[in-house]
Amino acid sequence: MFVLELVAQSLVQGSIYALIALGLTLVYGLLRILHVAHASLFTLGAYVGVLTYNATGSLALTLLAAMLVSGLSGVAMFRLAYKPLLKQPPHVALIASIGLFIAAEECFRIAFGASGLSFANTPLQGQVRIGSLQFKEAEIAVMLGAALILGALAWLQSHTRVGIACQATVSDPQMAESFGITLNTVRDLNFLVGSALAGFAGVWVAVLNNLVEPTMGSVPSYKALAIIVLGGMGSVPGTLMAALVLGLVESFGTVYLGKVLDRNAIAFAFLIVVLMMRPQGLFAKK
Amino acid sequence: MDYEISLLTTIGISVMFALSLNLITGFCGQISLGHSAFLGVGAYTSAMLTKAGLPFLLTLPAAMLLAGVLGVIVGMASLRVRADFLAITTMGVGFLFIGVVRQQEWLGGEMGLSGFPGSGLGKTGFMLLTLGLAGLTAAISLYIQRAWIGRVFNGIAEDEDTMRVLGIDVPRYKLAAFAIGTALAGAAGGLYASHLKFIGPDSFSFVESITVLSMVVVGGIGSVVWVALAAAVLSALPGWFQFIGDYKLLVYGGLLFAMMRFSPHGLAGMAQAVTRGGTHARR
Amino acid sequence: MHAAKSTTVMHPLLKVEAVSVRFGGLTAVDQVSFDVHQGELLGLIGPNGAGKTTMLRAITGVVHATQGEVYLSGAPLVGLPIERRIRQGLSLSQQLVKPLRNMSLLDNVALAAGGRKTASPLRALQHVSNSDELAVGMQMLEKVGIADRAHQMPGTQPLGILKRLELARALALKPQLFLLDEPLAGLNSSEARALANTIADIHQSGMTVVLIEHNLSEVMRLCQRLIVLDNGKKIGDGVPREVMQDPVVQAAYLGGDTLATSQSKVEPQHA
Repeated sequence: MFVLELVAQSLVQGSIYALIALGLTLVYGLLRILHVAHASLFTLGAYVGVLTYNATGSLALTLLAAMLVSGLSGVAMFRLAYKPLLKQPPHVALIASIGLFIAAEECFRIAFGASGLSFANTPLQGQVRIGSLQFKEAEIAVMLGAALILGALAWLQSHTRVGIACQATVSDPQMAESFGITLNTVRDLNFLVGSALAGFAGVWVAVLNNLVEPTMGSVPSYKALAIIVLGGMGSVPGTLMAALVLGLVESFGTVYLGKVLDRNAIAFAFLIVVLMMRPQGLFAKK
Repeated sequence: MDYEISLLTTIGISVMFALSLNLITGFCGQISLGHSAFLGVGAYTSAMLTKAGLPFLLTLPAAMLLAGVLGVIVGMASLRVRADFLAITTMGVGFLFIGVVRQQEWLGGEMGLSGFPGSGLGKTGFMLLTLGLAGLTAAISLYIQRAWIGRVFNGIAEDEDTMRVLGIDVPRYKLAAFAIGTALAGAAGGLYASHLKFIGPDSFSFVESITVLSMVVVGGIGSVVWVALAAAVLSALPGWFQFIGDYKLLVYGGLLFAMMRFSPHGLAGMAQAVTRGGTHARR
Repeated sequence: MHAAKSTTVMHPLLKVEAVSVRFGGLTAVDQVSFDVHQGELLGLIGPNGAGKTTMLRAITGVVHATQGEVYLSGAPLVGLPIERRIRQGLSLSQQLVKPLRNMSLLDNVALAAGGRKTASPLRALQHVSNSDELAVGMQMLEKVGIADRAHQMPGTQPLGILKRLELARALALKPQLFLLDEPLAGLNSSEARALANTIADIHQSGMTVVLIEHNLSEVMRLCQRLIVLDNGKKIGDGVPREVMQDPVVQAAYLGGDTLATSQSKVEPQHA
């Protein structure tokens, strides 16, 4: 059924969006900063992924390397770029982040060329049948991966000391300190986890498209921003729902509205319409 | 001579475009990440009208009107959402604009518009027109800054809740800022179309919005003189140094980051710190 | 605007009529009614969490009143945004003082004084000169006693001075009714006394004043009438001495505020 195919496509897209948007929402929830440069860690993960896989042939190692490099780079970004700007009004961090993002994309272009890199032997390209639907193995992998990781994170956030302390740092920093976790550790952790996930997503997108190019982070960056706005900035479950909804809206929207608007415009048109009706976002609690 | 004339024309348009954003973002504190949409509206309006036979100069008021109306609509959207959301909403407007234009064949679709009649003023005449309008925009900006409307904008940018407690109809003023700023961007768009003799959806991408924002930010939010200077230098840079052309975006990105990191009030802020002229951050 | 010394009972300046404010399941203000007469200095008091600030916010429009009506000189306020209510004649001096930091004290007050010119963007576009407003600004700064700092910046001022700036700015709006939210909070006892005296002077020059305060000794000294709130309900309304001797009011304060200081025999300044 055509509809079923669209839904499947939405799930794959939604999973990718969710992985990227999560890091963004963690940062916003914690620091009230719109971390536009986050998407460059997605691209970084993709580049590291291709290079590592072409060198080693091991998918596990590739994912690990990508997550590590992206994760640590994210923490570095926080320490060097955002921490000094915490006392400034919010637009300062936003514009700094935009500048960082653009500079990063350009660095990728200058270092690796504008036409991009590809896998020598793309992994997980085999087809899998589920019912009447056909999936690439990689698509299954990314959906499973997203579900597992995000599920685990959600559980950790509500069932472990670290997780609860993380949540507390936003509303009640002193209580968080009493858990034995300092504010700086929480911040570093948030950037580490969020950025690692972006790197993870980057590898899979590279596998799915068999291409890594410098501007591949642009569109996800904008979409991720739209998603966290829709999801009610800072809400993890809201973000996940919004990611899936956006995937659905884009897939179905492109089919029915494709003559009038292109895919990205559909996403933003949806965002604008939603915000006009519910200024606090689709899934915000307040 | 031809090259210098073309360069000066480009500078004039960039200065006008940057000053128009400065009114919205610099004076009134509303961060717009989609300002290129209004440049685009003006450009397409002017191009289509000249194609239909209207003399170029008459297309400019039409461009201003259409861009201004869209600006008020976007402004009204900005009233409903918080400041953080505003940046993303305006970014969305930018994408929406090119997304729509891209799919409309009568607007040239993906390929864009070309072959529309020129201004009829000749290269030098057109350059003078552009510089004149840029100067006019600067004069308007300076007047607004000194008038009561500028004082109110300044207050809104700093603390709009307090302004409301002082009896200021903040929503109306924000709309006014959007209306004036976007109308001027529309006029710049008309000039832009005539100068390039070709426009397409890619001429008004997110990158364009960021470029003009970087001019406002580097200049120093609010300062007419420094923003004009930053716009002039940044728009001429790729032309002056050929190799910069390839690194243009890296320069913009780096500048944005460096400015915010080390001098959030831009060049104007640095100038003030140097002259020890007190703590007036916006003049 | 001028106020007669005798209170006119026919038309109260401010009429609060059965106002309730609910946030989800919580009722912060419960069917509160009271009048404020021209020329009065009214105190709105009550233990912490009584709903005083919420009440004030419902009057100014920061918070939406779930039920009830508020009238200023007969004109209904509910439904109007804050700035419209201010233009009708209210003026608010906030607890958290927020001066505009990139301009001098004088410029802050002059901006408020420009009400006529800032009524609409179109009008604001047509006026440039602010010499009149600067003059008014100096007057207001003199009234609150900080004219010597007129050209200084807010960033370097101590809290007491900023509180006075807040008063001056609110006065520059030439209001019919002056609302003050905890003007003495954060000040030591001598600063508080001095500021309270300034408020008394402002009142004496003809201004109708409503203030929320926790500092009961000053409140007893200044106010002609007190309204007491507890748990969102009005439990007292009358002359300070009588109100404070009401057992219901005393019970409400048990475990609360500065009741001890109010029990010393302090004569209110006005009869």
